[in-house]
Amino acid sequence: MVPSLPVDDRMTVSRRSVVAAALAALPARAFAQAAKVYRVGLVTVGAPDTTVLGPVMAKEFVKLGYIEGKNIEFERRAAQGKPDRLPGFIDDLVAKHVDVIVTASYPAAAAAKERAGNTPVVVTYSGDPVATGLAASLAHPGGNITGVSEIAAELSAKRLAMLKEAVPSVHAVAVLWNADDFGMTLRYQAAEVEAKRVGMLIVPLGVHAPDDFDTAFSEMTKKPPDAILMVTDVLTTLNRKRVIDFAAEHRLPAIYEYANLVHDGGLLSYGPDQRTIFERAAALTDRILKGAKPADLPLELPSRFELAVNLKTAKMLGLPIPEAILVRADDVVE
Amino acid sequence: MSIGDASSAARPRRPLFRKYFTALFIAVVVPLLANGASEAWFGYRDQKEMLSQRLRAEAGSAAGKIQGFLDEITGQLQWTVQLPWRDGSDERHRFDVLRLMRQLPAVVEITLVDGNGVERLQVSRANPDIVNSGTDRTNDPAVDGARSQRIWYGPVTLYSGSEPHMTVAVAGARGTYGVTVAVINLKLIWDVISAIHVGGSGDAFVLDRAGRLVAHPDISLVLRGEGDPAAVRLRELQQATRGETVEGRDAEGRAVIAATAPIRGPDWTAFVEEPASEAFTPLRAALWRTGFLLLAGAIFAAGLGYLLARRMTGPIRLLEKGAAEIGAGRFDQKIDISTGDELEGLAQRFNEMAVELALSQERSERIARLKRFLAPQVAELVEGSEQEALLDSHRAEVVAIFCDLRGFTSFSHAAKPEEMMGLVQEYYEALGTIITRYEATLTCFMGDGLMLLVNAPVPCPDPALRGVRMAMEMQAAVQPLMSGWRARGHAIGFGMGLAKGPAIVGRIGYEGRSDYTAIGNVVNLASRICGAAEDGQILMDAAVAAEIGDALPLVPLGSRMLRGLTEPVSVFSAGPADPNLTKLPAAKVLAVQRNTGSHKDHKSPDVFAR
Repeated sequence: MVPSLPVDDRMTVSRRSVVAAALAALPARAFAQAAKVYRVGLVTVGAPDTTVLGPVMAKEFVKLGYIEGKNIEFERRAAQGKPDRLPGFIDDLVAKHVDVIVTASYPAAAAAKERAGNTPVVVTYSGDPVATGLAASLAHPGGNITGVSEIAAELSAKRLAMLKEAVPSVHAVAVLWNADDFGMTLRYQAAEVEAKRVGMLIVPLGVHAPDDFDTAFSEMTKKPPDAILMVTDVLTTLNRKRVIDFAAEHRLPAIYEYANLVHDGGLLSYGPDQRTIFERAAALTDRILKGAKPADLPLELPSRFELAVNLKTAKMLGLPIPEAILVRADDVVE
Repeated sequence: MSIGDASSAARPRRPLFRKYFTALFIAVVVPLLANGASEAWFGYRDQKEMLSQRLRAEAGSAAGKIQGFLDEITGQLQWTVQLPWRDGSDERHRFDVLRLMRQLPAVVEITLVDGNGVERLQVSRANPDIVNSGTDRTNDPAVDGARSQRIWYGPVTLYSGSEPHMTVAVAGARGTYGVTVAVINLKLIWDVISAIHVGGSGDAFVLDRAGRLVAHPDISLVLRGEGDPAAVRLRELQQATRGETVEGRDAEGRAVIAATAPIRGPDWTAFVEEPASEAFTPLRAALWRTGFLLLAGAIFAAGLGYLLARRMTGPIRLLEKGAAEIGAGRFDQKIDISTGDELEGLAQRFNEMAVELALSQERSERIARLKRFLAPQVAELVEGSEQEALLDSHRAEVVAIFCDLRGFTSFSHAAKPEEMMGLVQEYYEALGTIITRYEATLTCFMGDGLMLLVNAPVPCPDPALRGVRMAMEMQAAVQPLMSGWRARGHAIGFGMGLAKGPAIVGRIGYEGRSDYTAIGNVVNLASRICGAAEDGQILMDAAVAAEIGDALPLVPLGSRMLRGLTEPVSVFSAGPADPNLTKLPAAKVLAVQRNTGSHKDHKSPDVFAR
């Protein structure tokens, strides 16, 4: 038997103490920076309340001693699923002389890379920036870009395998992804390769705009798949509710990438721990604000992954979740 | 000379005060400095040793924490190799692995190899699980290493050229239990390494056996991969360390003190570093303390030196001042020193000396006063003895002698003052030595004339003879001078008169100014006889002549009426009469004027019958 308690306990304590230390250091740091008010641009192709524009990210900045309105100002720009607005956002932020631009999604990162000039850029949720050409390498991203990478596209294969393990009867899987996002397209491709390897069938449902979801849904209605794999980016997240509702309505098991979608009613999710992504993005932003050059800050890969399971959804779908899934689940919604 | 002058003129080139002060100051400060310096040096060594020990202890502790991180993983992995591979045990093994991966976020991949070296299961966080791939891993170094060492640590590899990973493998107690191979994401050591704080702002980091950065509180440094300049600096630091602490530069280029400790399992090295500025803070504080004590000691020494030097030189100054007072003749000033030491004795000697000097000066002043009329040897004799009573007024038989220059007044009109005074000086010098030799008493100067007494105040044998002999010598001394003067056209002559008889002698005058004189007919008589004397003549009365008798050839000049006297007086001349003198025309001699006031009423030589 594996004695789980000591390890678990240690990790919890260590993490708690790190947070406690950060909080303890807060007033001193806040005071030290009171002299200057930093300005950080936050850009997403998606909604104004998710990813880097959302409250989770703001909390990470607070942990580092930044208090909005006191020593930091955020310029939030959400394209609401309209990537063509992104270049305008970037130009606007550069004109406003923000100290750093933090982006979420590949289109936002690509726009920033193209137009931000000398303004440092911290990228998040943009897939694998090396694969998409945003950065030269993880260790030396080059230019003014750094940020949090996502583990290479093969994670799609892992998700597919997990879906199969959770619902062994799955054969045809509809893959929903933002076809405009190169990083996401790479993930779709990885899923396709894996499906071929294990003899599954992929139904590609690339979307470009919120309206495309209706088309995808009608296609799935016409020829129902066994399950859905939603490549989760800001565009698909923007429409997560519709996807979750559709899956529930059609009794389709679905797997997503981040735990928040499982909390919203999704069945499964597997992917990097989002809090860690925000934490690292905020930390990198902090270092740039303190004078570090983005070129000296390697892109960081996520190091913690989360498997989330919503047993309520499973029960609703009438699916028994096997032990092999539950035993590795980090987050179980009951 | 005033005292002020004395102190300013005699200001010493190297004052005693400065010497004493310097000596005392040095006497205190040098041992203090030596002590301070040695204390600072040994303190520095001790502190450095303490710092070194502390850092080594910190390094050991850091190494222990890193080892603990790895031990926890390998310890957990041990659970997966505690059961043999049997049919149907696959699922159980898989569950062990899945559970384990939940517990160990740093493990990104676990591979189970059975007792035959065949891969049975691979679970990865990023990739689909692979069950019973059947791959033969017998020759896998991880499997091989674990079989021989139970726990095997692979080299650090960089995932995507950035994130450090390491493979570890553990083997079961028996060969049939197989081997578990796990890949660890070393980035997660950050949780451990960033929690290590050394001193105020020091930190810890880890290098692998190849000098590659494995863990650092600045995760970006770790992720920069091979060849990063900061990592190269840390490698240099590692090469400089040989079990001891080392001073060098850290990744940011700060000067640091670092110590190392080995992490035995994977053969890594844990470093702790503390900024030199911070590490040496207690050292600097100690040095400051020593410096402050030295300064305080120096100030104390200066104060002490000042006080002691003052105590030493103060009395000496007083002595100097007292000596100056004595030098200036103020003998009544007492030097008041009560230091109880030799200086007080010296001051006492000075005071006694001042008293002695005062007495001696008084005496010499009295002698000087006596010398006004007595020959110096007589004056010395008389002073300070009962013989001083000789000076008291009394009646005595004295020989009074007068002499003066003839024609001096007309000369004094014609001559320049310097010439005249020079002449008078020559004249008195010539006479003075003779008078002193004969110990005659000089009662008074009257311009060009003198009055002398013999036999008073000190009686002497044959006073008349003595007086005449002296007179003859005086004539003999003055005549050559006068021939010189006459050659320059001055008609000057020199005559002398002696008389013997009773007179009242004694000191007359007032405090500080006293003279010795004789009062009596004999004085008047001698004066009148002198007035009658021609140039070169020595005339005397009968009393003198009678006393001389045959001792000297005398020429009786018969009785003469002398001016101012009612009775004729018989006059004698000493020595053979100078034919030149007697032949001098009367007119010429008459032309010679008397000039002394006291003699104004005396008759001119024309009154003398020849």
